[in-house]
Formats: sequence, C-alpha cells, structure tokens
Amino acid sequence: MMALIETNLPALQVVLPLVAAPVCAMLGRGSRSWAFATAVSWLTFLVALSLFAKTFGGTIISYEMGGWAPPIGIEYRVDVLNAFVLMIVSGMAAIVLPYARRSVAAEIPAERQSFFYTAFLLCLTGLLGVTITGDAFNVFVFLEISSLSTYALVASGAWRNKRALTAAYNYLIMGTVGATFFVIGIGMLYMVTGTLNMADLAVRIAAHGDSSTVHMGFVFILIGIGLKLAMFPLHLWLPNAYSFAPSAVTAFLAATATKVAVYVMLRFMFTVFGFDYEFQAATLEMVVLPLAILAMFAASLVAIFQDDLKRMLAYSSVAQIGYILLGLAFLTDTGLTATIIHLFNHAVTKGALFMVAGCYVLMAGTSSISGLRGVGRDMPWTTAAFVVAGFSLIGLPLTVGFISKWYLVQAALELGWWPVALLIMASSLLAIVYVWRVVETAYLQPAPEGVTRKEAPPSMLIPVWILVAMSIWFGINAMTTSAAASRGGNMLIGSSQILWED
Amino acid sequence: MPELGTPALVYAIAALIVPFIRHNTLRQVFLLAVPVFGLLVFWQLPYGTYGNINLMNMHVGLMRLDALSYVFGLIFSLAAFLSLLYAWHVRDTIQQVATLLYAGAGIGAVFAADLVTLFVFWEGTAIASVFLIWARRTEGAYATGMRYLIIQVGSGVILLAGIILYYRETGTIAFSQMELGSPATWAIFLAFGIKCAFPLLHNWLQDAYPAATITGTVTLSAFTTKLAVYALARGFPGTELLIYIGVTMTLFPVFFAAIENNLRRVLAYSLNNQLGFMVVGVGIGTPLALNGTVAHAFCHILYKALLFMSVGAVMYRTGTSKASELGGLYKSMPLTMIFCIVGAMSISAFPLFSGFISKSLILSASADTGYFFVWLALVVASVGVLEHSGIKIPYFTFFAHDAGHRVKEAPFHMLLAMGITAALCVGLGVFPSLLYGILPYEVEYTPYTTTHVVTQLQLLLFAGLAFAVLMRTGLYPAEFRSVNLDFDWVYRRMLPAIVGGIRHAVTSTWRFAARVTLHRVDRMMIGIYRAHGPQGPLARTWPTGSMVLWIAVLLGMTLVLTYI
Amino acid sequence: MTPPVSEDRKDMPLIARLLSGVDKPRNVTRIFYVLIAFCVALGLADFLYHKHSYFEVEDYPLVYGIFGFVVYGAVIFIAKGLRLIVRRPEDYYEPLATDTEDERAAGSDADATGGRPNA
Repeated sequence: MMALIETNLPALQVVLPLVAAPVCAMLGRGSRSWAFATAVSWLTFLVALSLFAKTFGGTIISYEMGGWAPPIGIEYRVDVLNAFVLMIVSGMAAIVLPYARRSVAAEIPAERQSFFYTAFLLCLTGLLGVTITGDAFNVFVFLEISSLSTYALVASGAWRNKRALTAAYNYLIMGTVGATFFVIGIGMLYMVTGTLNMADLAVRIAAHGDSSTVHMGFVFILIGIGLKLAMFPLHLWLPNAYSFAPSAVTAFLAATATKVAVYVMLRFMFTVFGFDYEFQAATLEMVVLPLAILAMFAASLVAIFQDDLKRMLAYSSVAQIGYILLGLAFLTDTGLTATIIHLFNHAVTKGALFMVAGCYVLMAGTSSISGLRGVGRDMPWTTAAFVVAGFSLIGLPLTVGFISKWYLVQAALELGWWPVALLIMASSLLAIVYVWRVVETAYLQPAPEGVTRKEAPPSMLIPVWILVAMSIWFGINAMTTSAAASRGGNMLIGSSQILWED
Repeated sequence: MPELGTPALVYAIAALIVPFIRHNTLRQVFLLAVPVFGLLVFWQLPYGTYGNINLMNMHVGLMRLDALSYVFGLIFSLAAFLSLLYAWHVRDTIQQVATLLYAGAGIGAVFAADLVTLFVFWEGTAIASVFLIWARRTEGAYATGMRYLIIQVGSGVILLAGIILYYRETGTIAFSQMELGSPATWAIFLAFGIKCAFPLLHNWLQDAYPAATITGTVTLSAFTTKLAVYALARGFPGTELLIYIGVTMTLFPVFFAAIENNLRRVLAYSLNNQLGFMVVGVGIGTPLALNGTVAHAFCHILYKALLFMSVGAVMYRTGTSKASELGGLYKSMPLTMIFCIVGAMSISAFPLFSGFISKSLILSASADTGYFFVWLALVVASVGVLEHSGIKIPYFTFFAHDAGHRVKEAPFHMLLAMGITAALCVGLGVFPSLLYGILPYEVEYTPYTTTHVVTQLQLLLFAGLAFAVLMRTGLYPAEFRSVNLDFDWVYRRMLPAIVGGIRHAVTSTWRFAARVTLHRVDRMMIGIYRAHGPQGPLARTWPTGSMVLWIAVLLGMTLVLTYI
Repeated sequence: MTPPVSEDRKDMPLIARLLSGVDKPRNVTRIFYVLIAFCVALGLADFLYHKHSYFEVEDYPLVYGIFGFVVYGAVIFIAKGLRLIVRRPEDYYEPLATDTEDERAAGSDADATGGRPNA
C-alpha cells in the first residue's frame, strides 16, 4: 500500500484535491465541507512535503500519466524547483483553510459555503497541476482550471461588496486574454516542433534553429504569463480582484497564484527556450528589467496613497513581483536564487499580511486604513502580527524579506549593476512609508468614539502567527530555503544554454 | 551572572516586562535595576568576544569586550541609570519602553564585534529613540520625529549598503579599523558621519533634541552621537580628514548657539561642538588623542546630561525652556542652579571639573603632533563653549532679568539625579586618575600643571570679563522669540519648494498633454465600454481596456525587439 | 514686561536667601570689580612661573587672557552679524515644528504656567 502511494505521489498531488472537489460540493453544510477541504489540503501538503524531501537532494521524478510514455503521453516532472513551489502552494492552502472558517462564515451565506470550498479545492488543483506537469498544453489546461475557479472565488466576495462582481468580470476578461496569448504561443511552438512535452520542446527548439515563429511563440508566452503574474503594467486586474475577493481567498491567491505564474515563466524561459538565441536575453534585459524596476517604484508609490488596506497590500504585491522579475532578468545564479527564495518569502509575508487584513475585516468591519485608528489597542495580537510581517515586507534584518533583498542586491552587484542595487534599496524606503502609515494609524491615533472591536479569534490568529513565526524563523535560519532556491536556480541555469556566459 | 551574549538582551527583555508591571513604584525600581543588571553582564568578564554565532556563513559576535568598548559600555550604563532616575516621575509606558530599548541598542552597538550586529543595533537606536520625540504627542513633534527618523534610518541604510560592499570586497564583516578609499568604506564613513552630526549632516540634532520630552532629551543626549564617536574611533582612527571635519564642527555651532533662544537647542548646538573635539581626537589618532576622545566622551555624557537635566528641571517647573521667557530663577530653584553651574563649569573646562581633564588630552595631542591651526581653532572653540554653555545657559535661566516665575524647587528625584551627576563631574575633575585608569591606551598624562591651570583660568576669566563688559555696555545680543535658519532650511524649505514647483510644472504639462491625446482615445474607448460593464463605480474605470492597450504596446515592443 | 514681584524672602529656600540681591545693580558692579581683580592677579601670575609651552606664541605673558577676551568679543559680534541673516519669525516652519507650540506638552508639571504658545 505504502509503496503504491509512494510511486504515485506526483499523481496524488493533483488528483487528491481534484477528486475531493466534487465530493466537497456534495457534503452540503458549511462546516462539514470546510472540515473536509481542510483535511484534504493537509493531505495535499503532506504529499508536497514528501515530494520536496525526495527531490531536495537533486533527484528528478518523472511520472507518466496513465502509463503513456512521453512525449505522446502527459508527463509529470518533479524536481527541487517545482517541489518547492508545490510546497508553498499546498502549505499556504493548509494554513489558509483553518483560518478561512470564521472569515468565510461571515462573508458567504451558509448554503453557498460548500461551493466556495469546492471552488477553493479546484483552484488548488489547478495551481498544483500547473506546477507539477511537464507538458506545455497541460499547463494551459490547469491554468484554466485555476483561473476559472479563481474568478468564481473572487466573485463570491459579492455578498460583502457588489463591486466584487465587476472585479471578477474584469479579471475574467483579462485572464482569458492572457490565457489566449499563452495558448497561441504554445500553438506556435507546436507548429515548429510538433511536440508539447517541455523537455522534448527544449531539445527540438535548440535543434530547430532561429525562426520568426519561435520568436512569436516566445513573445506570446511572455505576455500571456506576464499577465497572469501581474507584471507591471499588466497588473490592472490584480488590485480590484484582491481587494474585493473574500479575505481568505485574497490571502491564498496573493501567496500562491502569482507565484505559480512566475514558476511557469521560469520554466518556459529557462528550460523550454533555454536562451539559445540572443533575442530572448535582449527581451528580458530591455523589456522585463525596466518594467520590473518601474513596478518596484510605481506600484509602491500607488500603495502609499491607498486608503484601503487590502488594496494597498495588493499594490505592494505588484511591486514585490517587480523584485521577483528583477532577479529573473539578471539571468545569473544569484539572481535566480533571489527570485526563487522570494517566491517563498513573499508568500509567507504577504499571506500573513492579507490574513491580518482579513482579521480586521471580520472584527473591525473595515479594511480602510482610516477606519483602523487605534486598532492596536483593541486588537493587539493582530496588529503586532502586522508590524512583524510589515518589517519583513520592508526587508529589515532577521526577517525573510531581508534574505530576499540580500540575494537580490548581491546579484545586482555581481553584475556590477550599481544603480540597480541602489534602486532596490531606495524602493525599500517606499515600503517603510506604506507600512508605517498603517502602524501609525493603528497605534498612535486615538480610536474613533463608540467603536467596539474585539481581538480576532484564535482560529484566525494561530494561522497568522504561524506565518509570522515562519517569516522570522526563515529570516534567521535560511539554510533550507536558500539551499532549495540555489539548487533550483542552478538547475534552471544548467538546463539552459546561456550564450554570453562564457 | 549567566553569560547572556550581550547586555542589550537584558534591556530588551526588561522592555517586554515593563508594560506588565502595574504598580508605579515597583515599575520604577525595576527600571532602575535594568542598567545595573546590564552592567553586571560584562562588568567582571575578561576581555574577549562573546555570543559568537554563525549566520549565513558570516561570523557574528554579539559582544566584543575590550578596553575601548568597555569604557563606552560603562558610561552608557551609567547614563541609562541616571536618565531613568531623572525620569522617575514619568508614567508614560511608551517612553519607559523606548528608553530601555534605546539604551539597550546603544550598548549593544558599542559591543558589536561585527558590522551586521552593529547595523541591527544602529537602526535599533534610531527606531527606539524616535518615540522619545513622539511622546510629546503634538503635531510639530510628530513632524520633527519623522524628519529625525528618516535621517537616522537613512544613515542605517547607507551603513548597510557599505557593509554589503565591504563584505564583497574583503569577505569579512568583522568591525575593525578601515581605510577610506573604496565606496564601501566611504559609505560606512558617511553613515557614521550622519549619526555623528558632521557639518551639513548635523541638523537632525538641533531639530530633534529640543522637540523631545524633558526626560527624553536627557536620554537622547547620551547615546546616539557618542555611539557614532565610538564607531569612528573603532573604524577610522587616524583619518586626517576627520581632523578638519572635527574642527569645523567645533567652530560653527558656537555662533548659532550664541543667538539661539531655545536653551535646549543651545545645548544641542553645544553638543555638536563638543562632538567636534572628539572627532578631532579620532582624526589625530595617536594613543593620547584617542584616550582624549574616549575620556571626553565619558565626561561629556555626564556634564551634557547634567545641563539637559537642569534646563529640563526648569522646564518641568516653569513650562518653558526659552531664554526670553526665563530669568531670576535662582530665587526659586537654587539647587538646580548650583547643579547647572557645575555642569557649565565642567563643559567650559574649569580646573577641578571634568571637562578640564578630558579636553586637555585632545588639545595636547593636537599640539604634540604639530597641528598649530587645529590647536588654535580648538582654543577658539573652547572660548565659544564658555560663551554658550558656560555663561549663557546658567545666566539667562537663573539670573539676568527676573521673568517672575515663582515655582517650587525641582522634585527630589531630579535633584538626586543631578546631584549624582554633578558629584561625578567634580569627582572626575579632582581625581582624574579614576578615569585615566580605564582609558584604552597606557599614556602618562598630568593635567594639573601650573602652566595649564593658569593659562586655562586666564583664558576663561578674561573671556568672562569680555562678557561682563559687553553686558554693561549693552552690546550683548538680547534674546528674542525667533528661529534661526541653519542648513536644515535646505530640506525643510528649499527642496519642498523646488519639488512643489516641479510637480506643478509636470502636472500642468501632463494635464495638457493628456487632455489633447486622451480626449481622442477616450472617445473611441468610451464608445466600446459603454456596451460592457454593469453600473457602479468600477464601470466607469477602464482596467480591461487599458490593459489590452498595454498588452498591445508590450507585444509590439517585444516583437520589434526580436526583429532588430 | 512682567510686573515687579514683591520679594518675600521668607518664602525662598535657604541658599536663595543667601544669594538674594546678587542681581541688584550695586552688587553686580561689585562682582564686576572682583572679576577684574582676579584677571589682574592671573595676569601677574604669568610672570611668576616658568611656562611649558608647545608653541612660541604661548610664551608671551598674558597671551591667553588677551586671546580669550578678543575671541569672546569676536564670537559675539560675528554671531550678531549672523543673526541679521538667519533670524526668522518663530512660526517660520509652522506647522511642522515645535517652536511655537505650548512647550508644556514636553512633560512639564501640571502647575507650570510658562511655555505659552506664541500668538
């Protein structure tokens, strides 16, 4: 039995939540489906953990779906990089779901809750599937599963605020445009190579030689994924979607959805295209790099002027994605390490922050910053969590944020790109401003008259503090995460033939 | 005492406990015990490095105990104790916690054996101390605190940048002597310079210290700048540039102090001037000069705290620290007056007071090494010190024109704190060997020679005579309620004005351009979107459309790129 | 500016009573003469011992005294000149400064009466 499970772990990773989703819909009552979804998410997390443990040493698991050999059949391919991402995604689900019960109970009518959890599990399935699969078209399919369920999840914020519907609608339109671009890109690659398996694609693109179809394919995939990961200025769907979605959904999506998209980007850039041709690097350097830097500043500046906490955090996410893309655009070992480690670090930090925002929405009834005056006295634990996670967002030492910035600055300096290193530090100052605004409102301003706010319940506080503790723990002891990240980065660099490196 | 790694830990733990002690007296006693325990952590330990940790393959040492850090650790602990005693009446938890964290960070920083630890505590002092300013809880104090925080945190950020570069350059983060030359060391030097209030980087000091609470200023005066002096003495001894920076620092505040009305700001200028002496000492860098710097820092912390305490006590009773509003207080607060005069005579370096035995080390060192003009400038600056701190502070507060305040003497705990500090000032002046014994270098030095005593008295008393003459002839400048422009005008007035101008120009240009172009585009787009979208505020925004536009732009851009 | 306060010496602390009257013009003049006497004595003292000097200029008798006197005057006159340039009304940096705020916010005693904000 154990052996059976062990050999089929990669399949279980996806199949488990996929099968659980319809079951969850049939369970009916809110709390029952919640308990079921939570249990499933924990099991999924266990699977991801064991996959990570197996691949951490450097082994690559190749699993053939249904026994069909690639490149015809669908291959699931797990290495240290996507095992790391799988762990982030399923781990966040496992933390967010226990937190979700109270928050969802307040934001979604009881009779709809089982559908909510179903959509949540489907979204999880999609995200995990995108990460684990080694088949380009399969990426698209799972991307659509996760996106469609995400639209539904965002729209379910409509019981709290009707504008969630418009947000979801906009997201739907834009997400679909992105997915279309992506599938067009894959189609072009298929035209040229006649295969959809990523490993096979890599070989054939290298063998095929330069052609305008490959160029087009590259550009379409870049734009399509760029939209999914909210690359500035394709981020316009993100602030509304994050602000109006139910709190638990925001926390989960912010920590995982864009991260998975970044992973896809990494996978396509390095493994599939592999930088065989000069134009790919040129695109990264001349398009992605400036946009990443622009995002760091423009989005942070916008965040400073937001009054809604969730929206502020959403813009901050756009800025953080700037850091992630910056690391990618460096095209070096250290840069990729920074990108990959920041996937984890930002997931932990931003997850915690959005969960805190959710606590405020539930207990204080508002996520508007001006409505949170003096909340530090009424909700000390929640607000303290915000402060610590906020430090991490800024990148103060002893937090995970510092680790990311450290690697990023190192990477910039290795290339001798002084101005970029300075810009990274300067943009951190902006983060200080927007985090500080909240801290100041919460602690230094008097509470409005006649407002009663109670501390958030333990079922929400404990998950928040688990994330906060992680953001400190992995800020002090970054051995595991940095090892995983640098191995992932090495592997990516190894799988591509970067032309100008030697 | 169990080995704790760093005394900062004692302060940090205590800061966590303080809010939970409800009983007032108990809490104050607890607060006073903290510096004592902090001192016990390193008091008897043999020299060496403690609290060694391996962090991301870098060697971190939390506590390096040697002759230099020991003296600073000692005086910081003493200063923490005295300011907490002085603040016995304060019931504000935020201030108490901030004081502990600030003092702890200051002490942690001087013991830091590596640059990363230094950086953490460096920022710690910045973040903790700003609450002593904000504790005033007025709009102006908030703005002032923000300016202070930005500059202090900025210093930390520059320090961090320097550390990263230094690490890349040398492969080590150990905090030891550095050579100016590479960007790394320049960045570190600049970071130290900001905290040390180098000329043109100094305004945060005069801006923030008078804005803090009465007790907060006493605490602030001890740690931040002396930490920077320590860092310079550790990192850049013998850097000639520092001599000239230091000389400038001793001279220019003299003039500003002479015309400043706010006595706590006068003391802040005076603090800047005293730092100049220490920086000169670091710049000369001989054992005698470095001993002078350390000794002067030690004495300076005490008498500057004493002066801030006495002005603070006056402010506590009368509600003001402005020279134009004070006078004649010797009738109501004679003890405070005596302590103030002890502080004034110490800072002016009268024989038998502490300033005499520490400043003369630096002056002798500058003369020994043949820097005639440096020496001359320091003598000029000494006369300046007498002017603003030695005469102006006590004279305008306790004598001069009687402003009519009839108040009680300062509370007992303040008198006690001032008394202990004053006793230390005199004690060190009378028994210099007490201080000389713990200085980092073995140097023979006798401060009390006939020449030195007579010449110093001549200098001071004739200067005093000049004051008397100027007063009798009415040439001495009167005190007005006013502010004086200093370099901070650049960032408080000029830059905002420029930025405002640019913003205005940009927005109007942008608006014009946008009106012209967007008008047409909007027409077309609005037509398309009117069909879509439900009613509601979002329907009027244009995310989908502009996103598609962006996609088109990006796609076009990248495609063009791939074909060139 | 302020009305003369009736001097009830019994209310004063002991030390203050001992000192009271130092600021009367007659006493101020006396103190001034005492100071001059001290200065003269110190000037004469220069002839009574052997100076250990670092620089030649120190060897002149009374050089420190003259230097102190001149420099003090110079500092005052330069500062007065500086004031002409840098002096501004107290509310110059309003509202982002503490200069004109009620200073009692810094933690003064409840009985304190000074520190009024500048109108």
